[in-house]
Amino acid sequence: MPNIERRDFLKLVGAGSVGVGAGFYLRESIKHPMEHLIPHVVAPEDFSTGIDTWYNTVCSMCAAGCGISVRTREGRVKKIEGNPSHPVSQGRLCALGQAGPQVLYNPDRLTGPLMQTGERGSGAFAQITWDEGLSKVADRLDLLRAAERGNRVCLLSQGVRGHLAQLFERFVDQLGSERLLHYDFDHPHTLYAANQRFFGEQRLPYYDLKNTRYLLSFGADYLGSWISPVHHSLGFGHSRQGRPDVRGRFVQIEPRMSLSGAAADEWIAARPGTEGLLALAVAHHILSKGYYQGADRADWIAVLAGYTTTEVAAQTGVPAETIVRLADAFAQTQPSLAIGGGSAGNHSNGVDTLVAVNALNYLVGNLGKAGGLVFNPEPAGPTTHPHQASYRTMLEFVEDARRGNIEVLIVNGTNPVFTLPSAAGFAEALAEIPLIVSLSSFLDETTALADVILPSHTYLESWGDDFPEPGVGFPVGAVSQPVASPLYDTRATGDIILGLAQRLDMNDVLPWSSMEDCIKDGWRQIHERGGGDVRTESFESFWRAVLTAGVWGEETHRESTFTLDKSVIAGIGVQAPEFSGASDDYPFILHPYLSTTLHDGRAANLPWLQELPDPMTSVVYGSWVEMNPVTAKGLGLTEGDLVDIESPHGRIRAPVYVYPAIMPDVIAMPIGQGHAEYGRYARNRGVNPIEILSPQMEPQTGSLASSATRVKITATGRRAELVKTGGNSRDLGRNIVQTTGAGQHSANLNSIPITVIPS
Amino acid sequence: MNVSIVPGLRALRPAALVGGTLFLGLLVGYWANATWYPGTSPEQPIEFSHRIHAGENEIPCMYCHTQARRSISAGVPSVSKCVGCHKEIATERPQIRKLMSYWQNEEPIPWIKVHDLPDFVHFTHKRHVSAYARAAGIECQTCHGPVETMDRIRVTSRAIDGSFQLDTPWEMGLCLNCHRQHQVEHGTDCWTCHK
Repeated sequence: MPNIERRDFLKLVGAGSVGVGAGFYLRESIKHPMEHLIPHVVAPEDFSTGIDTWYNTVCSMCAAGCGISVRTREGRVKKIEGNPSHPVSQGRLCALGQAGPQVLYNPDRLTGPLMQTGERGSGAFAQITWDEGLSKVADRLDLLRAAERGNRVCLLSQGVRGHLAQLFERFVDQLGSERLLHYDFDHPHTLYAANQRFFGEQRLPYYDLKNTRYLLSFGADYLGSWISPVHHSLGFGHSRQGRPDVRGRFVQIEPRMSLSGAAADEWIAARPGTEGLLALAVAHHILSKGYYQGADRADWIAVLAGYTTTEVAAQTGVPAETIVRLADAFAQTQPSLAIGGGSAGNHSNGVDTLVAVNALNYLVGNLGKAGGLVFNPEPAGPTTHPHQASYRTMLEFVEDARRGNIEVLIVNGTNPVFTLPSAAGFAEALAEIPLIVSLSSFLDETTALADVILPSHTYLESWGDDFPEPGVGFPVGAVSQPVASPLYDTRATGDIILGLAQRLDMNDVLPWSSMEDCIKDGWRQIHERGGGDVRTESFESFWRAVLTAGVWGEETHRESTFTLDKSVIAGIGVQAPEFSGASDDYPFILHPYLSTTLHDGRAANLPWLQELPDPMTSVVYGSWVEMNPVTAKGLGLTEGDLVDIESPHGRIRAPVYVYPAIMPDVIAMPIGQGHAEYGRYARNRGVNPIEILSPQMEPQTGSLASSATRVKITATGRRAELVKTGGNSRDLGRNIVQTTGAGQHSANLNSIPITVIPS
Repeated sequence: MNVSIVPGLRALRPAALVGGTLFLGLLVGYWANATWYPGTSPEQPIEFSHRIHAGENEIPCMYCHTQARRSISAGVPSVSKCVGCHKEIATERPQIRKLMSYWQNEEPIPWIKVHDLPDFVHFTHKRHVSAYARAAGIECQTCHGPVETMDRIRVTSRAIDGSFQLDTPWEMGLCLNCHRQHQVEHGTDCWTCHK
């Protein structure tokens, strides 16, 4: 044993100790991290750990009112599908509806009440409590009501149906105001007006695509964005493939091929705004060939005298032979159906055009029968149309605001700063309103200008109900229930209104303590009225049954004997469309269309939809201008060239997309992008074509003729790469699409050896 | 010419000694941790004994772990479930008082997870406690070890001969052995578990 010095001994002991410690902690640090198993204090009744719970509720992403089933796990929303029992969606759902969880979990949601502390639009907000926010608004409302200036309060909402609509009505009425406006960019004012004139009904009929054999669609992109795309897609599928020996034929008439145009058997480009003329030429041929033998035949012949196929052919650019062929097929294939809407209704002659389309259905006897146009009964609850504000109404509102006649504006869900053309001057008019309150869940362009923000729940967190419009031929109602607990310090829209009402002592007219109460109360009346497929003695079991099924319906078809008022026939006729801007200065007609994914821009903050390729162009994220190859060549432009699109009312810049299925003097742009606010995914991406639309109106309804703006195109000399998933649309000799002639095909068939699949 | 490195080594000897001792210490420390603090049987917030409940009193596993037969996870009983019995039974014991204090404060008991599978393994209890699996002789103990003998739950696996291996975490071999032995349909496909 060698001698060891004290110093060295201490050194070794020190080193040994440090080593042991380090070794101990080395293993400690590489151990599996400790996880906890946190049990419930009391086991919840409505879900079990690890097991899916599905709730039926209603989609609120667009106005169609599809029923949805939401998959939840441990109380959290995971997935949304269509509700199989709901007659509108029948288990299917579109991309917009599927993206619902991204509304709920959106990182840009408003998490609690806010008050603007700086200049409007500065984005300086301070957090406040609900009590402060509600009191601030209620105090102002109370003052106005006491001074009998309640009419200076305006409630501007997105289109809402069901008992929330009723709640709004009563609340505004109690304030002594008449200013309850629902504003949606895509509300089909002209379609309502045309049906009102022709059928005398203030609601949309049911278009039975499912059972039709021949569909003539005038501008209605029924598969993409028109009214109820999920239901129409179901009908389309059934018409094409659901019947063993019948294949429905679909003809789409529109200046730019939409998704429906691409799915149609025939796509016909008529000059923008002349769809109604084309419909009347078809009607003319139906009469002259004697397909229609009704008592009022002479009246029809007289009124349609000026719409011969040859004359209309010159106006529409559709050959006379084509019109004759369409008319023959439409009259001889029964049942057939003509629908009109979308861009065809968004012209200065929109109502007349859609009346002409209705006339076609009348002349070949498509009314009130399967495969044609079925009238809807009285809806079981409040619907949205009565308060829908047209463009003209919004202009009146802007004028009132400018004059200082509006003192409080409560905005719910709608975003007019984005969805009104800048020519309307809406954003400027807001500056004249002393108090703006927004109930939006997101900081959109309108909400950014609000003084007080009282954020609403998303639709997945709130109570509500819906009566789909258009219905499906029989009364349908659906209850929307919260499928997840609120994520943030937000409240249901109805509860905010009720909170204000309580502070304003409106208890006698709005007696409910919560929206759930209000909805339940409304449905108690539906239960008492009886009828429907849920029949129970007690209301509680009825309520449970409706919540479980997610829908209530009464499958009865009413007698539809339709007699046409003679005065309607005399009023039939379509004027040539009027466009804003001189054709010399502005050679192109701008055709803005609702994006299949982003709709009117409301879904631009959902990354799933931003990255979902547009079905026709496959472009993701961003805006583009669709242009015929001939036009593009004439202007010396190719895909990706940045151009300025200028109307008499503004200018925007977007890259060119060369699109063969568009008329040469029309350019098309999708609506939805171009947000200045609305969260990280929407902001500063693309441009908004609504911004430059001319304030051209359809005179009967005052709705915006959004397809009637002329524009000019100026090349900027700069380029921007379009981000898209599609490659080249041409074959380029790669033999990708192999074709064979009919004769060759049958010859090949005969030589194919028959193989029997072993069982 | 010879150059010796010995003087050099001699000069390094003190440093080498210190380094060597440090390394030895490292090994000892590591071993000590692995032996005395394996972390395979963590101390729980309440000293709950499976030996008393499942062993002596023969309470079936699924009386408390109710989710096992219908869910991917077996589930931990809610606090109310414990209280359901212990309102009456052994109310004076300190651990039960602890339980009641959680109950009165409406707080969950933060149990520490003992048995765990990596996130890339898709395992479902439902399938493994089904009537079919039971008929094949699969008990809870087949994977979880002799739980009814443990006061505190301890990580347990099984060797290929079927004997229990304490403090050994589950590995893929455990799954595969059993799947092969019972000739489970698609039981050795990658995507059966890794999906």
